[in-house]
Amino acid sequence: MKKVPVIVLSEFLRRVRSKWFILSTLLGPLAILALIGTSIFVSVRSVDSVTFRTIAVIDETGVLFDRLAAGNQEALALVPGDSVDDARARVVDGEWDGYLVLPSDVLTGQARAAYYSVEGAGFSLEDMLRDRIQAAVRAHRIEEEDVPPEVQEIFSGRVGLDPVRLSAEGEAEGSSFAYMGLGYFMGFLIYIAMMVYGSMVMYGVIEEKSNRVVEIIVSSVRPFELLMGKVLGIGAVGVVQMVAWGLLLIGGVAAAGIAAGMFVDPAALDLASAADGQEVLESLGVSLPTIEVSLIVWFVLYFLLGYLLYAGLFAAVGAMVEQQQEAQGWLLPIMVPIILSIMFMAPVLGNPQSPLAVATSLIPFTSPVLMVVRMAVIEVPLWQFSLSFGLLVAGFLGAIWISSRIYRVGILKYGKKPSIRELIRWFVAG
Amino acid sequence: MSGLSLNNVTKRYGSLVAVDAATFEAGEGRILGLLGPNGAGKTSTIRMITDILRPDEGEIRLDGKAVGAWSRERMGYLPEERGLYKKLRVGDQLRYLAALKGMDRAEASRGIRYWLERLDLSAWESRKANELSKGMQQKVQFIATILPRPRLVILDEPFSGLDPINSELLREIIAELRTSGTIVLFASHRMEQVEQICDDICLIAKGRIVLNGSLREIKRSFGRDMLNLEFDGDAAFLEALEKRGRIRITDQGPQRYSVRLLEGTRPREILNLMLRHARDVYCYELVEPSLNEIFVRTVS
Repeated sequence: MKKVPVIVLSEFLRRVRSKWFILSTLLGPLAILALIGTSIFVSVRSVDSVTFRTIAVIDETGVLFDRLAAGNQEALALVPGDSVDDARARVVDGEWDGYLVLPSDVLTGQARAAYYSVEGAGFSLEDMLRDRIQAAVRAHRIEEEDVPPEVQEIFSGRVGLDPVRLSAEGEAEGSSFAYMGLGYFMGFLIYIAMMVYGSMVMYGVIEEKSNRVVEIIVSSVRPFELLMGKVLGIGAVGVVQMVAWGLLLIGGVAAAGIAAGMFVDPAALDLASAADGQEVLESLGVSLPTIEVSLIVWFVLYFLLGYLLYAGLFAAVGAMVEQQQEAQGWLLPIMVPIILSIMFMAPVLGNPQSPLAVATSLIPFTSPVLMVVRMAVIEVPLWQFSLSFGLLVAGFLGAIWISSRIYRVGILKYGKKPSIRELIRWFVAG
Repeated sequence: MSGLSLNNVTKRYGSLVAVDAATFEAGEGRILGLLGPNGAGKTSTIRMITDILRPDEGEIRLDGKAVGAWSRERMGYLPEERGLYKKLRVGDQLRYLAALKGMDRAEASRGIRYWLERLDLSAWESRKANELSKGMQQKVQFIATILPRPRLVILDEPFSGLDPINSELLREIIAELRTSGTIVLFASHRMEQVEQICDDICLIAKGRIVLNGSLREIKRSFGRDMLNLEFDGDAAFLEALEKRGRIRITDQGPQRYSVRLLEGTRPREILNLMLRHARDVYCYELVEPSLNEIFVRTVS
């Protein structure tokens, strides 16, 4: 194995010196922020938002329409409707999205409001309409009954909720939103490591094979040494790039703090004039979550093992084909668990104790992303955590064992594409 | 015991026997030509010698010691299907391949400078491989093979794609390797090249070694039963003889024929016929069969 360092160094330098590396290192942080931002935005908005609708209101009470229409018009435009027949015709024609019928008895709670539409209401709209009608009816009745202002205030009062995490070390400040952001961030980094650097390993294998340089190399070193050297060399590229991105992001946050410090007068926020950027940011409501050291350590371990697991599999696929295009079919079984990891990120973050979250953070193919995501938002039980890590190590060893056998035979095979049966034969021969 | 020796080496892929009990030797300071049609088992044999594949049976020794990890550093292998890292500079490429053979950095740099100069590539050292012509890339690959001063050099079709001037240059260097005591294995199916270069030959067909030994002795053992003729005139008499099974025309060009004598046809007979039918005679030569002819006779 004494040649492995030579291969690691060559694989590393070859990539770090490329234009691709320099560009992606500089632009990466922007792309990461955009990705995370979009994904948080979508997952938040997809629950709350509805498409804009125009709804006619047939108000038989004669008093509710003004109260209803006074509400938020962002997603909903309420227009007065004349008659049921007219409204129905216009909704069917598509001029309006639907119409709301408010019988006069709705004010006394004796009758129910009804919403008519072609496409149905959907949960979000249903909730919104019910809330509004209820608020309007309540406001009207309070006014009618001449309730004292103290009681009115009781009805309009609002209560806020501040989530605070408990751990053995004490309370950790920061909203769960910040921890979710952290979870997304770390999950995405591991996802990128598995996807981008993993497929880089595959392209490296395909390149050596289609260049026919591989036979020269394996006459000098064992295929397993070449595989290890390549996987570790590209892994080092990944680590260097991640560290560079980390430094750029920290630099960016610090710069944002300084900028905030320049535009916001600390005195106005009741802070000492010497307050640093982070304090300024926090007092402006941008709280940074406290990150435990152990979380960073486990992040790094899951990051590395996740990469190694997938790099081995990608290398095996690379050894099976001669051209990148041929790899597509074989890539599917590898890509599915990686993509599932990303798809499950939102539900796991939303309910990190659910059976889905526990299961996906135990399975080696999804655990690198999803265990770290859970660890960011909750204290994961020790047994789940040890089992997950043990399974991941076992998964990595198994994958590299299978891959290296396929790799050994595959890199010297040219001609027709292997069938499943041939792959098994390669595996046995390797 | 110096040199390379294979003893009863067998390689199977499932039910296919790729190499069947191959036994031969390659001595130091000699060039052994490894010949055979495509799919005969040449590549499998070479891959076993270079320890890329392991034989199912038999053993391979270099200087008396079984090949393995140690011998990889002592061998230089130029495969038939070969290439370079496209985006890597020529100098870096050679340094990397030399380091994989365990070569010292400073020594490698000295060697690279020498060989690039010798093969007229000095100006290309810091160019990327994909900027080089195919012939230039071939020369770079050749340098990579011999740079670490291997004990055994294996060249599989080293001349393919080279122009005559560069071919000659390579031939010169191969001759130097022989003089310096290197064991050279030359795999090819270009018979005239093998005939020009090799001391010994080893002919493989369908995984078996069908002919092995000194090229001169093998040719002598076939005897002088070939005529090279060159004349101006009607060649119908040759065709008539061939129809009667007295001779076989093995090769022909404009006014030029190679003829194998069959069934005790005497050389003199052909000379008389030729003198009778030809306006002018340029060549009449009684020779041993060419390697190409030996190859065809042995394999068929």
